[in-house]
Amino acid sequence: MLRERTVRKDAHFPAFVRPVANAPWTRPSNPRPHGPAGLLAMALLLSSATGFPAHAQDDTDFYEIETKYIFGFTKGSGIGLEGEKEVSGETRGQFGKRSGTYRAFEHMLEFEFTPTQFIQIEVEALGQSHFIRNVPDLDDRNKTAFSGVAAELRYLLLGRGPGQPISITLSAEPEVSRVDDISGERVRATSVETRLALDAELVPNRLFAGFNLLYVPEALRSPEGEWERETNLGVSGALSFRPAPPVVIGAEIEYFRHYNSLNLTGFEGDAVFVGPTLYLQLTRKAFIQAAWSAQVAGHAVGDPLSLNLDEFSRHKAKLKFGYEF
Amino acid sequence: MRASIEAGARATAALVMAFIVGVSAQYALAQSATVQISIKNHRFQPTELHAPANTPITIRIKNLDPTPMEFESVTLRVEKVVAGNGEGVINVRALSPGRYNFFDDFNPQAKGVLVVQ
Repeated sequence: MLRERTVRKDAHFPAFVRPVANAPWTRPSNPRPHGPAGLLAMALLLSSATGFPAHAQDDTDFYEIETKYIFGFTKGSGIGLEGEKEVSGETRGQFGKRSGTYRAFEHMLEFEFTPTQFIQIEVEALGQSHFIRNVPDLDDRNKTAFSGVAAELRYLLLGRGPGQPISITLSAEPEVSRVDDISGERVRATSVETRLALDAELVPNRLFAGFNLLYVPEALRSPEGEWERETNLGVSGALSFRPAPPVVIGAEIEYFRHYNSLNLTGFEGDAVFVGPTLYLQLTRKAFIQAAWSAQVAGHAVGDPLSLNLDEFSRHKAKLKFGYEF
Repeated sequence: MRASIEAGARATAALVMAFIVGVSAQYALAQSATVQISIKNHRFQPTELHAPANTPITIRIKNLDPTPMEFESVTLRVEKVVAGNGEGVINVRALSPGRYNFFDDFNPQAKGVLVVQ
């Protein structure tokens, strides 16, 4: 487990993010990573460029870490530190329907701050991009637009500490949007994403498990003036391992159910997503998070084919960059 | 639409109430214990602080270096920048017994621990 590492003498990085010059995965012959395996390869590659101190690592190198972004689409319970502020940019992509070309992206510019040791507040500006061609029941579209705003309130119900490996946070995120996230049509949509996030530190500073419960009621007014009401329920679990101080890699599984009402009647389908996750601490104040998931099971009511590609996509991905100050 | 807005408003209101109740409980008007620490040559002095359990804690930090430092702790859930040759105060909620690590985020080799007992 303990390995001596060589540091480039001309490195211009802070002491805790010195790069490694001769790690095997930094050699030019290393193949370019692709797909889910690429996330792992990227983690190893980037970790070699950012994280390993010159000396052999021991447990003191594994400083305590915030868990909010280490689980991919599953959110950790971390709420930041009192007095901390963060700006971040995030893009989430949805890829693939039953046929045709489908790519939809949601872009988020976020500012979050932690006014107390129990509360975190976040405000977001949202944009959406849709590239749709020859997808049944969807109009062709190639458009990017500002779509709305959102705010998130997070309250720490149970904090992690000595002898307390479990942490729980409750959050509510109201959002107003003028673009339908699936079709890209002009709409008026209001939703509230309510989430219970629980995570556990299985091995101190090294291995974490995350768990989310999700309830998202939404009302949407279509271009024809008709109101639609729907609800998404979700549950997810993730496991994240920290092989080096600045790197966390893992995997997650998510299960969603979609209803065409607010009272959980009118079940329309469900879907299961599985995929790898990556969190990389670039410096003490900056990080990158990436995740990718594929729909591995699903069913839409009235559709005999496998997978639910009416309400969900074949693949989804997430990339986030954040800077704390 | 109205039902959705009402559901959202109820959820948000419940969360806000939880905030208020929770924060009020955590910051109840209990007498706080004060501990003092200084940092010099990018080293905490002392490196180990002691405080009573289940009592709010006030940490007074004196930065004896000419450069700023940032007191930070994930388990204490606080961070505070203290200017060079300056002083800072951090109020910490009542804690359960245990060891709470902290460090200077501008000079991470400066580490210390708050022992709550």
